[in-house]
Amino acid sequence: MKILPNEISTLLQKEQVFDKDILFWMVCDRTPDGGFVDTYLILCRDRLITIGSGREPSKEKIYKGYAMPRKKKSVEPVQSGEWTVEAVPLERIESVSIVNLVASGLIVVKETEERIAAAFTNGHMGKAARLVSLFTKLKKSEELNSQDLDDEQEHTSCPKCGMIYPEEGRQICPKCMKKHAIFARLLSFAGKYKGSMFLIVLFMLLNSATGLVIPYLQGTVLFDQALGGKGSFAGQIGLVILLIIAFRTLSLVFGVWFGVINARLAANVAFDLKSSVFSAMQRLSLNFFQKKQTGQLMTRVNNDATELQFFFVDGMSYFIVNAMNIVGITAILLYMDWKLTLLCFIPLPFVFLIVKKVFPRLWRLSWRRHRKVSAMNSIISDTIRGTRVVKAFGKEQKEMERFHRSNVSFSDAEQTVNKLGSTVFPVLNFLTQTGGILIWAFGGWMVMQGEFSFGKVLTFVNYMYLLYGPIQFMNNIVNWWSHCMTAAQRIFEIQDTVPEIAEKADAVELSAMKGDIKVSNVVFGYEPNKPIMKNVSMHAKPGQMIGVVGHSGAGKSTLVNLISRLYDVSEGEILIDDINIKDLTTASLRKNIGIVSQDVYVFSGSIAENIAYADPDCTVDDIINAAKIANAHDFIEKLPDGYDTIVGTGGHNLSGGEKQRLSIARAILHNPKILILDEATASLDTETELQIQEALDSLIKGRTTIAIAHRLSTLRNADYLVVMEHGKVVEDGTHDQLMEREGIYHGLVKKHDEALKMNEVIIA
Amino acid sequence: MMQSVANPVVNEEVKTESDLADAAKIRYLSADNTVFSKTPGNMLSVKVAEEEHPTVYVHCSFPHTNKRIYLSIRTIENKEIGMIRSLDDFSKEMADLLEEQVQIRYFAPEITNVVAVKQEFGYSYWEAETTAGLCRFTVRDGGGNAKMVSDKRLLITDVDGNRFIIADLERLSDREYRMVEMCM
Repeated sequence: MKILPNEISTLLQKEQVFDKDILFWMVCDRTPDGGFVDTYLILCRDRLITIGSGREPSKEKIYKGYAMPRKKKSVEPVQSGEWTVEAVPLERIESVSIVNLVASGLIVVKETEERIAAAFTNGHMGKAARLVSLFTKLKKSEELNSQDLDDEQEHTSCPKCGMIYPEEGRQICPKCMKKHAIFARLLSFAGKYKGSMFLIVLFMLLNSATGLVIPYLQGTVLFDQALGGKGSFAGQIGLVILLIIAFRTLSLVFGVWFGVINARLAANVAFDLKSSVFSAMQRLSLNFFQKKQTGQLMTRVNNDATELQFFFVDGMSYFIVNAMNIVGITAILLYMDWKLTLLCFIPLPFVFLIVKKVFPRLWRLSWRRHRKVSAMNSIISDTIRGTRVVKAFGKEQKEMERFHRSNVSFSDAEQTVNKLGSTVFPVLNFLTQTGGILIWAFGGWMVMQGEFSFGKVLTFVNYMYLLYGPIQFMNNIVNWWSHCMTAAQRIFEIQDTVPEIAEKADAVELSAMKGDIKVSNVVFGYEPNKPIMKNVSMHAKPGQMIGVVGHSGAGKSTLVNLISRLYDVSEGEILIDDINIKDLTTASLRKNIGIVSQDVYVFSGSIAENIAYADPDCTVDDIINAAKIANAHDFIEKLPDGYDTIVGTGGHNLSGGEKQRLSIARAILHNPKILILDEATASLDTETELQIQEALDSLIKGRTTIAIAHRLSTLRNADYLVVMEHGKVVEDGTHDQLMEREGIYHGLVKKHDEALKMNEVIIA
Repeated sequence: MMQSVANPVVNEEVKTESDLADAAKIRYLSADNTVFSKTPGNMLSVKVAEEEHPTVYVHCSFPHTNKRIYLSIRTIENKEIGMIRSLDDFSKEMADLLEEQVQIRYFAPEITNVVAVKQEFGYSYWEAETTAGLCRFTVRDGGGNAKMVSDKRLLITDVDGNRFIIADLERLSDREYRMVEMCM
């Protein structure tokens, strides 16, 4: 536990409370009327102490995750007189509870009447929840176990800068990890292509080295020696021309080689990046996908990977070669004539100035464009997936307008970027070309003075033009670099997101499950202190069928999501064959738990492939048997393409019942020990339901089944029923026991029967 | 064709509306039948006709567009006691009391001046003057953590879910807007 500030400890000591007496403490950081004032709540075995500050609200507030750049974190020492201490014996307190507000919370203490004890911002919600749970245990005189007292693994902070990791479980300090770190990480992607990269750089260097000889041959050697009749090549024009051709050819050959290898590498790197992001996404928990829009994720996988591919393939190798070219050519130029060389650098300061001023703006505008593209893509994918709704409400026009608006703002953004781009780059071009004109002017003057030969000026100018390419490239690479680093950042963000549900290092592999499920005192909420499940317990013995009944929103689906560990419980435990599911390998859970749910997903592919999804290596016999048991065989045989019928996006459209039967066949083939039926027949008509029911009956034989259903008729076979309401188990027992009790279940059955009768009347 | 059926359609719409109100059965609270008061423990209690609720909470139906209309008065169990059409229907004293409750519930410092936003590694670090003092907080990029909730109102949610509001993006200076834009 973090240590209490000194002044608070002193105050407590005056109250005869010492560190050993303190079970738990927390800071509440806001007042109900909107300022930031600290209030300490200290829970001891016999009392709850509230220490409130009498000070004015603090003028500054640092929320979690923000590292202060300067060391001015220490708050000025507080005089003890400013604090008010109030200790209330626990026996006088009836309850302590949290009131969830929007992005903050209140701690409400009830003695005879409820009162607001303190208010806190969202970051303290976890602590507040623990305070309440500890108080409740104390009040009920329950034994506190070590888990209660042991402070949860707090967000650990970066050892280097002291900043708290902004995200739980992600032990990366964004402050201390810099772009070169991303770059290094990117390089590791290219690591396995070291050979190709080396060859590419080698051929590029050879290409430019051979290219560098040419200006010398064309200038000094051709004009001054061969034509001018001086030096070793005097009069040998043919030889010089041959040499020029030879070097050009060599340069060309190296260039082609490099291009071929490069093309191969480009495809491979893009492939690697995309598959790495895609598989990283598959690894993540359900929660991640529910938070992100699909459109955004798709852009991420595609665009960002392409961006990085450019960087690797073009950026990296050109960077190395161009850097060497710049060094090499500058050296040659300086060697030839340092004064002329300096002349051609005159425009450079202007170039740099423009780059420094304009490029950040260009970068910002292109970010805006990226944002607009994402927005537009989301609209497109929303509308396509929601076509039925759009058409049903006749809102095509409205969707077109919505798209139009987004399209306009994208096109505006695009235009702004392009306009700026097409202004800046020609200006930059012009500036760099100015250097050439200066050389001709001064070089020409020097030739006339007889200080310089014509060939030498020509050589000089040719070299200088060779320099422009690399320099312009370097101009761009700054922009490129940040572009790519952002793309990399986004991709790594997906890769680094720690799946909320992680397998333990020493997880147990359970190959043969019996199917004994014990759920004991499970509490679960997607956010701290917003429990959806409250103290749920149940037991399913091997081979039993348990029915879970309740209104929608009662927490039935959450219960099965917890059993199959799509989410982790907050408190309590779920045991399968007496092993906590957190200690089991994910593979053994997935292998032994099958889910048939209301929303059936059919993948693109043939019906046979869809059935064989769990076990692609199964025999044709298996597939047909499974389909037969699932009552799917007959409708499949009726299809013109039989089991080869392509279904899914763009394929044959299956009806809801047909899809459901496919998914049951899939589950039969999967052959799990534990079967979860989550409203498997809810969306079907009665007739289809009957057929499916038959299929389900054959499916549940010999398996532990947990069935959730609205229609109680489907649960008549259940060995045991659990009735849930508002996240709690309110009744349980067999159908007969529950009917006898005349409680909630009884009421539900009566309503259900009435509804059925109504149905009959309507149908009749 | 459209013209000839125009009238009946209008009539039907009026009818639908009253039907909806009948079906919805929302109880509206007014100054005549309702008295709000603050308990000694600083909580809100309400008396509607003869019915008394010791602690209730005020929920806004439109927390971003108008906090003064369609307030829902609810118990901690989220049972609706009734709705208030507009705070203007109540005395100033009562309206102030309810507004104070709204303030408590929808605590979100309003950003008056963006001092700095620094983006790094998938997070942006904000330093901003707000109605509650200078706040420094961390926002995860993407995932709608800075999103427009109306034409000009920006809602920013930090790593813990704390909320900050920029009431009018257009009132930001160019320099501020440039920094904020990169996080949207």
